[in-house]
Amino acid sequence: MADPDLDFTTGESGASATYPMQCSALRKNGYVVLKGRPCKIVEMSTSKTGKHGHAKVNLVGIDIFTNKKYEDMCPSTHNMDVPAIKRTDYQLVNIAESYMSLMSDNGDIREDLRVPESDIGKEIESKFEGGEEFMLEESELDLKTIQSLSFLFQINQNL
Amino acid sequence: MMMAAVGAPEVITQLESAAKVLMAPPSMVSTEQRQHAEHVFLSFRKSKSPFAICKHILETSKVDYVLFQAATAVMEAVVREWILLEKTSIESLRAFLLTYVLQRPNLQKYVREQILLAVAVIVKRGSLDKSINCKGIFHEVGQLISSGNPTVQTLACSILTALLSEFSSSSKTSSIGLSMEFHGNCKRLFQEDGLRQTFMLTMEVLQEFSRRENLNAQMSCVFQRYLALANQPLLSLYSSFSSYILLLLLLLLLLWALTGGGPLGRHYIAMFEATQNVTLKPTESWREALLDTRVMDLFFSIHRKIREDSDMAQDSLQCLAQLASMHGPVFPDESAQVSYLAHLVEGLLSMINGIEIEDSEAVGISNIISNLITMFPRSVLTALPSELFTSFINCLTLLTCSFGRSAALEEVLDKDDMVYMEAYDKLLESWLTLVQDEEHFPRGCFVQPAIQVFNSYIQCHLAAPDGTRNLSVNGISSHEAEEINELQEDDRELFSDQLSSIGMLGRVAADHCIPLLTSLLEDRVNRLHGQLQRTQQHLMASTDLGSVDRKVLDDLYEDIHWLILVSGYLLADDPQGETPMIPSEVMEFSIKHSTEVDINTTLQILGSPGEKASSIPGCNRTDSVIRLLSAVLRTSEVESRATRASLTELLSPQMGKDIMWFLRRWAKSYLLVDEKLYEQISIPLSTAFGADTEGAQWIVGYLLEKVINNLSVWSSEAELANDTVELLVTLVEKRERANIVVQCEGWWSLAKQFASRSPPLHLLSSSVQRSLMKALVLGGFANMDSDTKQQYWAEVLHPLQQRFLSLINQENFAQISQEEAVKQEIVATLEALCGIAEATQIDNVASLFSFLMDFLSSCIGLMEVYSNTPETINLIIEVFVEVAHKQICYLGETKSMKLYEACLTLLQVYSKNNQSRKRSDATAEEDQYQDLLLIMELLTNLLSKEFIDFSDNDEVFRNQEQGTPASSRTVSAADVVLYGVNIVLPLMSQDLLKFPSLCNQYYKLITFICEIFPEKIPQLPEDLFKSLMFSLELGMTSMSSEVSQLCLEALSPLAEQCAKSQEKDSPLFIATRHFLKLVFDMLVLQKHNTEMTVAAGEALYTLVCLHQAEYSELVETLLSSQRDAVIYQRLADAFNKLTASSTPPTMDRKQKVAFLKSLEEFVANVGGLLCVK
Repeated sequence: MADPDLDFTTGESGASATYPMQCSALRKNGYVVLKGRPCKIVEMSTSKTGKHGHAKVNLVGIDIFTNKKYEDMCPSTHNMDVPAIKRTDYQLVNIAESYMSLMSDNGDIREDLRVPESDIGKEIESKFEGGEEFMLEESELDLKTIQSLSFLFQINQNL
Repeated sequence: MMMAAVGAPEVITQLESAAKVLMAPPSMVSTEQRQHAEHVFLSFRKSKSPFAICKHILETSKVDYVLFQAATAVMEAVVREWILLEKTSIESLRAFLLTYVLQRPNLQKYVREQILLAVAVIVKRGSLDKSINCKGIFHEVGQLISSGNPTVQTLACSILTALLSEFSSSSKTSSIGLSMEFHGNCKRLFQEDGLRQTFMLTMEVLQEFSRRENLNAQMSCVFQRYLALANQPLLSLYSSFSSYILLLLLLLLLLWALTGGGPLGRHYIAMFEATQNVTLKPTESWREALLDTRVMDLFFSIHRKIREDSDMAQDSLQCLAQLASMHGPVFPDESAQVSYLAHLVEGLLSMINGIEIEDSEAVGISNIISNLITMFPRSVLTALPSELFTSFINCLTLLTCSFGRSAALEEVLDKDDMVYMEAYDKLLESWLTLVQDEEHFPRGCFVQPAIQVFNSYIQCHLAAPDGTRNLSVNGISSHEAEEINELQEDDRELFSDQLSSIGMLGRVAADHCIPLLTSLLEDRVNRLHGQLQRTQQHLMASTDLGSVDRKVLDDLYEDIHWLILVSGYLLADDPQGETPMIPSEVMEFSIKHSTEVDINTTLQILGSPGEKASSIPGCNRTDSVIRLLSAVLRTSEVESRATRASLTELLSPQMGKDIMWFLRRWAKSYLLVDEKLYEQISIPLSTAFGADTEGAQWIVGYLLEKVINNLSVWSSEAELANDTVELLVTLVEKRERANIVVQCEGWWSLAKQFASRSPPLHLLSSSVQRSLMKALVLGGFANMDSDTKQQYWAEVLHPLQQRFLSLINQENFAQISQEEAVKQEIVATLEALCGIAEATQIDNVASLFSFLMDFLSSCIGLMEVYSNTPETINLIIEVFVEVAHKQICYLGETKSMKLYEACLTLLQVYSKNNQSRKRSDATAEEDQYQDLLLIMELLTNLLSKEFIDFSDNDEVFRNQEQGTPASSRTVSAADVVLYGVNIVLPLMSQDLLKFPSLCNQYYKLITFICEIFPEKIPQLPEDLFKSLMFSLELGMTSMSSEVSQLCLEALSPLAEQCAKSQEKDSPLFIATRHFLKLVFDMLVLQKHNTEMTVAAGEALYTLVCLHQAEYSELVETLLSSQRDAVIYQRLADAFNKLTASSTPPTMDRKQKVAFLKSLEEFVANVGGLLCVK
């Protein structure tokens, strides 16, 4: 997921990774592609050149992968790309050599994702090491822990 | 007590070295050293009876800062130990300080001022128990002033200033820990005693100065000797002169506060300080002093002398403005008022006519005029000699036009300090006041002035050659396109005051102004049309939009912009909460000319916006009011045609907004004009726009078509789209208009288009979509036969419901829920629901509530599905917030309960989904903040039912259901709210409380709960109870004073609840005991904001009632810690007095009031004493 040259215009599932939207229809807390990166819109304002000019939209977004800030400005009639974001809950089944086995609601297992090298990754590992049987009992809690990650992973896959 | 201090030299050495540390540059001393030095001074100032040592310091130390601290210590100690001090020693202390300053003319200014401040504080404290005679002080000061020695005079001035600022009870007053009551008493005493004397003394000096300057030439050698002797520049004389004026200004301002009658509330005082525009209302006793024409003459002559010095000129004009606002018992009768005013106006006119006004004088002069026009009764104004009145009005007219031109110049030059703009605003406001009382003045006397002012306003706002817009002094026009952000207000708001006045003047001179606006606008529209056509041809040749010179277009747009704004303000008002009416002047104007008007031609002009007005035969015999509207419609038509010719990019969205704004404002008063509201009605207006007329139908259709066109063409211009949809809401929010709207085909196709979410309406921003939904729902309540109505709802609301239900009922909804198309559908539905809730009115709440309720339960299901999509969760909660906000006040018991249940479930699901959820992305905190804010808003909305309730036992629902018995009540507002708090509390971290809006909303909510459902608090689960109590404590002790006050207000109901339940070991009982100590300490031991005394006092009293034994214990502990027998006794007495009127304390209103009264005395008497600790 940390691959900075990630090309997210090709989607593996065949669904379009992005779709166009007129600037004016974007909204704060929504998503947009800024400088080629998928971002969550944290600020959105308009301005114009001269009293009789046409509106331009100023966008500030935070890269959902790297938390980096991006800004852009464009005429409000223009279309912007919006990343198609899909979120799925997985149940953590196993961790082997830093790779997780994750099971989705319909029983599909994927094993291509690494345990992230972050605090939350450490938490997953420590919870997992607490014992497998125990895990299932606590699945509710752990599922939620992973959720935010799966959120990131899933975008990675689909974009 | 005043014996020489032991070890004085050591103390001085210690203080002087501490001062050295404090004065040293930051790099030379460590933070610890600095803190230590600060501590030295702090404890020095708190030391008991420091008078002898301070005297010693003042006499021996050479370090200014130490002198300053000694003066401060004296001041604080005197107040602290007042009761214990002998009156004679106080008197000798005061005399010592005064002599000290007199003998040392070379003291540093800040030391001198501080010592004089100490003197003033002593005088003030002494005035209360009459131990110091103010008269004596003024006698002394009078002697200083008559000494003729400038140095001594300057000192006298400083003393007066210090006294004034102490006694004025303003923000400048030293805080000496005494109650507002005390400050108020001082002020009253000072008013009776000292104020007039101060005024007389000041006048004396001013007279002397102005005489001296008259004799400038003869005095010059004396002057020079003075200068040589003191080596003082002339400037210092001037500066003392200026401070006299300032002093007087302060004094005049003060007069108002002091003589305003009745006790002044705290807020009133704050307001008084905030505004410069206070008026002078002296008592009768001032008559002799103020009605003396020499006083006013003096100020005019002073101003003439100092007007080139901009600072002093403002002060002296401010004094004149105060005199111009004089009213009340100072005038024995009306004739006195007339001659006073006449003298003032004469003085003013001769001052203005003889000079070229300086920039710095503009605001002051306009203040004088504005004050006299506002304050003097119309009968007094009209009683002026008619020539004088006419010259005054002429002068005002010229001045207004000239300030207007200068204001326009200021705008071109983009000056920071817009003095002429401010002055112009003031004068226009004065015109508004005058013109509104027109009937009191000679008939027609304002018409000519109105024409002049109106013309000059129009001229300043039009481009050359007709106008002077953007022309700088040398006649060169500047044209630069600057970046404008969305925060900048639209001109129609920014200049609304100016435009209201100009509109009003336009009505007064309607005969001139309405035709003028019409011809100017028609001309501009023709030119715009031509220019756009030429551009189109040009484009066909080159196809490059970039090559178009926008200058000509922009100039036309700006002209049209201002013409439409002025027309809008002239033709209609925008009253808040009242029925909008056609202004009487406009109505009369139309009636007056109706005999010369050909109605058919008028209707033809109105009905053919695509044609040039002048090309229609007989166009000179049309109704001017309708013709002006037609001119705006022509503008609108040119715009629409340009969009159809794909020239949208050349158009001005600003002009589009202006058109929408005008039409909305116009429609509110004119469209379907209600003849019953008017005594007389103009035939042209009623024929063109009355109910059941073709004209009204035509225009509704035209407006609707325009709206639809705008919504598709201008979806990218959020503000324009917003103005457009607001016009649509205006058209349907009144049933009569809505009835016509729903007969239009365009309306139905708009509804269908929106319901099917087909382009281009889905490009609109979410807020516009909400308002559009609102309009469509409102339209549905118009008169239609039942088939049509059914069909309408089938077109508008049912698709929403059907699509939504078929989507969420799909078996695989959970799987497809994350697909983009599905998400968009869901979001659009949620937005639409918010819009539907917004359309709630009392007569449609029944059906809308039922409709929305069905959705609410489905929404809760969505909470599960989208639990990992924060923005959707946010929107779902928002739907609930809107429904509760708009509908709860109309709902009867059973309906409310349904809503409570739904909200409760929502909160349960939210809570379940958020337990132990961890998100690591950057916006997690912000998302949570949004959720919590919305939840608290929801809870507050639900609570609001407890005090705003329009429901009448399901009255509005009577036809719908057979009443469910009320006893089956299962969920109460309290349950939902407490459950909600249960969710909110654990999530409220101290970090989140740093968001001010969240913090305020949170404390508002918990205070509401404590006040409304105190009985529920003891039943809370332990954890929740604890965190609630902790929140209260936190809010009381470490938040803003507003929050602190809220928390204190929450305590009384809690204590009362405890008293009711009589459980001695309940957690609430124990918690209130803790709060007793907190509030006790806060009131008795800590320096607290005096504003809080009442809230804290009420809390303390109920807590004392509850915990009498603990309270006695607290008092005992405090007393036993006092080693000084005198202080002990004073404290003991004070505590006895405090509870004397309420023993034994019971929760009885009368006793509580008595307690609060004693508490104020208590704080005044011993508050300062205990702060010593």
